[in-house]
Amino acid sequence: MYRLRRLKSQLFTALSIAVAILVFATIAHILLSVAVNGVGVIASAGIDFFVKPPPPPGAGLEGGIGPALAGTIILVALSAVLGVPLAVLTAVFLAEFPHSRFSRLVKLFTNSLLEIPTVLVGMLVYVTLVTSTGSYSILAGAVALSIVLLPYTSTYVERALEMVPATYKEAGYSIGLKKAQVVWYVTSRIARRGIAAGILIGLAKAAGETAPLLFTLGGALYSYPTSPASLLEPGNAIPLLIFTLTLAPYENWHSVAWGAALILTLMVLGLIIAVRLVVREVKV
Amino acid sequence: MARSDGTEVTVRNLRVYISGRPILKGINLRATPGSILAIMGPSGSGKSTLIRVINRLIDLNPSATVEGEVYIGGLNVLSADPYDVRRLTAMVFQEPNPFPHLSIFDNVAIGPKLHGLAKSRADLEEIVRWALEKSQLWEEVKDRLADYPHQLSGGQRQRLSLARALALKPKVLLLDEPTANIDPVSTRKIEESLREIARDLMTTVIIVTHTPQQAARIADYIAVLYNGELVEYGPAREVILYPKNEFTKKILEGVI
Ligand SMILES: Nc1ncnc2c1ncn2[C@@H]1O[C@H](COP(=O)(O)OP(=O)(O)OP(=O)(O)O)[C@@H](O)[C@H]1O
Ligand SMILES: [Mg+2]
Repeated sequence: MYRLRRLKSQLFTALSIAVAILVFATIAHILLSVAVNGVGVIASAGIDFFVKPPPPPGAGLEGGIGPALAGTIILVALSAVLGVPLAVLTAVFLAEFPHSRFSRLVKLFTNSLLEIPTVLVGMLVYVTLVTSTGSYSILAGAVALSIVLLPYTSTYVERALEMVPATYKEAGYSIGLKKAQVVWYVTSRIARRGIAAGILIGLAKAAGETAPLLFTLGGALYSYPTSPASLLEPGNAIPLLIFTLTLAPYENWHSVAWGAALILTLMVLGLIIAVRLVVREVKV
Repeated sequence: MARSDGTEVTVRNLRVYISGRPILKGINLRATPGSILAIMGPSGSGKSTLIRVINRLIDLNPSATVEGEVYIGGLNVLSADPYDVRRLTAMVFQEPNPFPHLSIFDNVAIGPKLHGLAKSRADLEEIVRWALEKSQLWEEVKDRLADYPHQLSGGQRQRLSLARALALKPKVLLLDEPTANIDPVSTRKIEESLREIARDLMTTVIIVTHTPQQAARIADYIAVLYNGELVEYGPAREVILYPKNEFTKKILEGVI
């Protein structure tokens, strides 16, 4: 009886280790393939990889991801402008009025946003913004991404605000500060690193998502965003470009996709490392 | 000397319940401008709770209910806008809690700055200096005003909290064991400061203390709480020389 139990326990341990190794190996394999395949492509295209549009189908590697790189930067910036203030305000509201009925409603809403597949967010923006303006656009893509980042940033920022010890808020009230002043001069300053981390996490999410862009951005392969008016025209983004290039039956496009994947990985990794750095230094 | 117009604190039949449990059971008290009221009593008797009713910090505890009457001068504390109440009061907390994200200077300056009490930068610096001097911290920090509270000792942090409160020149000063972490010499000097402030600014000072000696040194009146009830209240000399209550005797002897 005892030996059977011990055998079971050992089996379970072995299984857990095997699964862990499998997961780790998969991630390592993906990262390694991206690095190995991506570096070659980027090296052979040189600086062109960052500025030129993709090469014509089946015709060498003389090109890159210029429009998509520019698009991703603009999309992330624009979705931050649209989404971050709303996310932070939502978080402040939830942290300051945790018991109000409206809070519970908002909480339900942000939690649902975390759960629903992001492709549905894209469809929502499609049926509202894209059909009403009559065109895919960078703006529509940014709206979709801002909806995607909203629940991540607001949840994280809310937690950061809640972690500020009550005694500092009380100190703020005790010297006669109003609620808004306590939030502005005390709570948010003490939680500033957590707030910054929440914003970066939202941006990392927005930078890496493909699904919300499928029905919103338009996937323009060759045109660059050149003026503010471009925001109302179709654009591209690195994740969407990877999706497009990989589905096409051209060897050289697959190669460019590897390079794009490497750049995207580095961007998101950079944001995640920034989050780590910001969070590590939290001290109260 | 005691003036009854402006800022007398009057507590009538005050009852506080937290989650339905009675914490203060019908307290009647008066603290007059220019005088110091010491509140004594064993741990858990409701001293901090009483202080937190007077500046409405009790509002931050959603499970607390308050009954009775509290007045600061003519202001009905329990029905007034809590922000109006807190403009008249300032508090030093039992645990030192200077703002960790503000420099020593800014910790003291934030109140006067946000309430527009200083007309100029020089004015503000003068207030900060005055408050730090009264708190017996100026000499130690005058060359490092840009440092942060985590660079200070526990006692220094408590004096910084005191300076933050004093800088507002409040009508009512609420002190919850303000010298608990502070050495005897500084404690004596702070007590002198408090006497001066009460006398010169006609401030109403309410101080929670565990040490009978401190109460004897600075208090004009002493109130003793036991298990949420006021068991003794009167002029300091009378309470110390002729305590009526058994618990008061024990507390004054330092037994509880
Ligand atoms: N936030 C709270 N939630 C629940 N109970 C509380 C709360 N604050 C105070 N109490 C209860 O109220 C009673 C009085 O507490 P209070 O802090 O006023 O005591 P005190 O006299 O200041 O004690 P001490 O000398 O230890 O500081 C205690 O029994 C305590 O458990
Ligand atoms: Mg206490």
